[in-house]
Amino acid sequence: MVDSYRPLSLKEAFDLRAEKGAMPFAGGTDLMVRYRYESGAIPDYPRPIMFLGHLDDLRKIRRIEHGLSIGAAVTMTELLDHDEVPEILKESLLTIAAPGLRNTATIAGNICNASPAGDSICALYALDAGVKLQSPGGERIEPLYQFITGPGKTDLHADEILTEIIIPEDRSTIHLFKKVGTRRANALSKLTLSAVARISDGRIDEIRIAVGAVAPTVVRSLELEKKMEGRSLKDVALEAEDILRDYDALVQPIDDQRSTAVYRKRVAMNLVRHFLLGVVLQQKGA
Amino acid sequence: MATINFSINGTSHAIDTDPLRRLLDILREDLKLTGVKEGCGEGECGACSVLKDGVLVNSCMIPIGTCEGSEIITPEGLRETVQGKAIIDAYGESGAVQCGFCTPGMMMATEALLRKNPSPTEGEAREALSGNLCRCTGYDMIIDGVLKAAERGKGLW
Amino acid sequence: MNKKISTSIKRVDAGIKTGGAARYIGDIPFDGLLYGKIVRSSRARAIIKSVSVPALPEGYYYIDAKDIPSGGRNRIEMIKDDWPVFADEHVRFIGETIGLLVGPDRKELNRLRDEVKVEYEDLTPVFSIEEAEALKGGPIHGEDNTYADYRLQKGDPDAAFAKAARVIEDTIRTGFQEHIYMEPQGVVAKTEDDGKLGILFSGQCPFYVRHAVSATMGLAEDQVRVQQVVTGGAFGGKEHYPDVISTPLAVAARKIGKPIGLFFDRVEDISFTPKRHPSVTRFKTALDEAGNIIGMDIDVRIDAGAYESCSMVVLQRAIFSVNSVYNIPNVKIRGRAFATNNVPSDAYRGFGAPQGLFAMESHMSHLARAINVDELKLKQQYLLKQGDVTVTNGRIHEEVKLPEIIQRIDDMSGYSKKLKEHTPGSWKGIGISLFNHGSGFTGNGEQEIIKGVVKMRKRADGLVDLLVSNVEMGQGLQTTFRKIAAMVLELPVDSVIYNDPNTDLVPDSGPTCASRSIAVVGYLVQEAAKKLKDRWKESDIVEVRQQYEPPEGLIPWDQENLQGDAYPSYGWGANVIEVEVDPLTYEVTTKGIWAVHDVGVAIDEKVVEGQVDGGIIQALGYGSLEKLEVKEGRFQQKTMADYTIPTTMDFPKIKSALVDNPYEYGPFGAKGAGELVFDGAAAAFADAVQMAINGDVKQIPVTPEYIMEVREDGNN
Repeated sequence: MVDSYRPLSLKEAFDLRAEKGAMPFAGGTDLMVRYRYESGAIPDYPRPIMFLGHLDDLRKIRRIEHGLSIGAAVTMTELLDHDEVPEILKESLLTIAAPGLRNTATIAGNICNASPAGDSICALYALDAGVKLQSPGGERIEPLYQFITGPGKTDLHADEILTEIIIPEDRSTIHLFKKVGTRRANALSKLTLSAVARISDGRIDEIRIAVGAVAPTVVRSLELEKKMEGRSLKDVALEAEDILRDYDALVQPIDDQRSTAVYRKRVAMNLVRHFLLGVVLQQKGA
Repeated sequence: MATINFSINGTSHAIDTDPLRRLLDILREDLKLTGVKEGCGEGECGACSVLKDGVLVNSCMIPIGTCEGSEIITPEGLRETVQGKAIIDAYGESGAVQCGFCTPGMMMATEALLRKNPSPTEGEAREALSGNLCRCTGYDMIIDGVLKAAERGKGLW
Repeated sequence: MNKKISTSIKRVDAGIKTGGAARYIGDIPFDGLLYGKIVRSSRARAIIKSVSVPALPEGYYYIDAKDIPSGGRNRIEMIKDDWPVFADEHVRFIGETIGLLVGPDRKELNRLRDEVKVEYEDLTPVFSIEEAEALKGGPIHGEDNTYADYRLQKGDPDAAFAKAARVIEDTIRTGFQEHIYMEPQGVVAKTEDDGKLGILFSGQCPFYVRHAVSATMGLAEDQVRVQQVVTGGAFGGKEHYPDVISTPLAVAARKIGKPIGLFFDRVEDISFTPKRHPSVTRFKTALDEAGNIIGMDIDVRIDAGAYESCSMVVLQRAIFSVNSVYNIPNVKIRGRAFATNNVPSDAYRGFGAPQGLFAMESHMSHLARAINVDELKLKQQYLLKQGDVTVTNGRIHEEVKLPEIIQRIDDMSGYSKKLKEHTPGSWKGIGISLFNHGSGFTGNGEQEIIKGVVKMRKRADGLVDLLVSNVEMGQGLQTTFRKIAAMVLELPVDSVIYNDPNTDLVPDSGPTCASRSIAVVGYLVQEAAKKLKDRWKESDIVEVRQQYEPPEGLIPWDQENLQGDAYPSYGWGANVIEVEVDPLTYEVTTKGIWAVHDVGVAIDEKVVEGQVDGGIIQALGYGSLEKLEVKEGRFQQKTMADYTIPTTMDFPKIKSALVDNPYEYGPFGAKGAGELVFDGAAAAFADAVQMAINGDVKQIPVTPEYIMEVREDGNN
């Protein structure tokens, strides 16, 4: 049985992290399930727990220069109720679990759990979000796609705590979020598509496409996005099939208890194709 | 072990226990508040729903250590309120109850909804109860019960 | 009078349940309660070489077959008694009970359980009907791995096939289904103050538990007292399984002398308790030149799992249902229940009928597509009528109101009109299913096996005790039974006292299953009430007794050959479902659900409507969402996150209606309803999907993954 702590400040939390190797616990909804034992028993945590959900420093949503900062203990419901949270993130949050769980769960927890099927993670990739990681020695900001390194794996250092999620200003003109879940609500993902684009004067200024639960981490290709950015819709249309083929190579799903590899692959590519051909290339000026 | 101070149904409690124990177990085992049920133990079914500081939570997903200073309302507390009675009556009249194991949780979710949105549409009621699973009723009469409670209890929330 | 009985009243148990005051088995305090934890087999088919139990801390116990008292038996006496209380030499499925750990702390019990070392000699296990039929690894049961192998014949099918112009073959598959009663299994065993062995449990059949426990313990039946407590859903999942956990718990409670509770965790419940039988049904249908169906040859196979329990009866209902509501002139049916090393399959709402009906309804729709005729017209051509011969060469004795039911559902849903509007393959579809369900035990079970008795007693205070062994498990019996008695006695409903049954206090009216509670026992309640009313003034206290007698005019049942009237009466119904399929994701959106049923007369319209709503949504889960795969003997979906039952958001509001058709031997004309309402929705859903994608749907659940497969095959 492990110990648990309730630090009263971030500083105290850093000390606990350093001295006890305590695991940050914000909403805890992922940790409670991951380490669940059996009915009536305390979960089998491998390390001491420190509760952080009550720390005011972590409970703020702040406007920052060119974006939004979301404290690690802000719940999903609080994000849904906030005016400045980008629509695609809200759409993803509405597909996660149900109101009761969203009142407890945080996106910071979702990120640190690093499930390839994490729905908010997929939307945050499409928003080009980053994470602020603080330690007694300082802080660093990493893009999400670098922070998450594999299923259940992140680049969180032993002395660090994820304190904020940084979302750059969302300037997209179109977006598409689609979760294919195991049912219509309160569902886990079979796969997820999050995609945004900024189109002006028949040109793609920005485009980001993220596909969740079809590879060990969320699929996003900076290279393919760069190939499309700054180019006219007409030009991109000519290369669309090549681009789709390149995405196809990146989508490498597996069979599991929720779906099959062949379905995930087909539907993921249907959705990417739909976004590119059916949404982006249908914009004015194409 | 630690001492956790919190209130349940308006009464203050100071409990010495392991902060990692689930709120669900504290309610059911230590305080004998068995209106809260365990259906799945992983936040999927909503049978263990309570209000924590005014919002709906799954008590199986809450370590008691995170309840310091919190106000918890369980079915035992809600049923004594005028709002709770309105929901219970509306459920009874709508045929919302069959085996009853999910129903206290449904009542909590209904209360949470009506506090936020006193005149919900059918769609909003369905969304608000989407984390509360029922295997008997097919949900239609529960949704009727929610809408009936809202209509009958106008002004209560 | 009928109208009055159908008028809804507020359910008697609504308030106490909603407010959380109702006490389920896990809510009742017991002084010094210990917990039990089952030590389970990790192998699907093996010989146990040895079991080594770790040193147990004080206050902890390990119980196994050696602890069964002399005079008792290491067998669970259910319909069959092949399932051992504790695995003896062999284990036949993953999760089988080897021993029981008992002690005060659950986490410690879990730790101890993980330290019990079992040494096995593995044998070759069998996980599918096909492997069982091929006798992989040698038979598990008998010589051919079948628990039952039945053949039925009606008319002259060989002659029909000899003159057929065309024979169409079709194979339909249905999957496992888990009950997901919201309250997991729970039982408490203890020694009562008077020395009797007491069992308190969540479940359907108090006398089944009493019989099984007394046989295991070698006690006279009246030395075991069984109390049913408020039950959080059952659906057949608490028909026999409480026997499986009460028996080892009784052995432990007797030996240890303290109350012991066994409460399942949800993962444990999904992983190791019985499921609905998977089925494979192969049709060969003979058509003449004009496209008329002249004969059918049907082969039904079900996966019964590691022990037989009640599977042969499930198989009987499956094959009796496999012609659905049609009078096919010449039919040959074979049915087999196979032994496998999967978790034993057992009772689940419908008891084999949903599998048989889904297969036949799907096959009829495929025939219509194959010969390019209107599906409903084809079905209407063969509808059973009063006096028609059934597949067991019995008769349909009642008026069949299917034409009225069909007309009604067409008016409500606009089926015929919408059928013309949607082109097959346009991603929009509408589907229909017709079905019936025999009320009560199959064959002569009611008069030969159950012999149900009801007692009713006028008390000195003017209240009436209704003494029956049937239970409230959510289906509304506390309300409907009281209504029947009160209406006859012309008393207020709350003058009738009907407590959760205790086997010391009530007669054995039989189990709560098989849509028999209203149709069979409810009739006894009505007749007892009539007797009591006649004798009301005799004395301060008057007790009457009513025993089941079969209705007159039935064709006697021959259990050896499965011939005669399998059921005295049937409920009937039709479902229509409209869907849209997403061409990108193959996800289905259900746009409308309509249902019309004949349940004789509703004892309470709201209670019946609640059954209709709940039955249909549970069936749509079966038909679309509830994938349960078994891999090497383990269920792959073992949490409520992965085994997905419908939520509030999955299906729209149901529109339903009832057609009155009073049944002479039912209370106020009522017939069974609880299973009927489950029987049709999966087929209507599959039918709607196959229209939307223009391809034959041949299995449930109809998942998006499967829809993609069918659609791609169709395009090739």
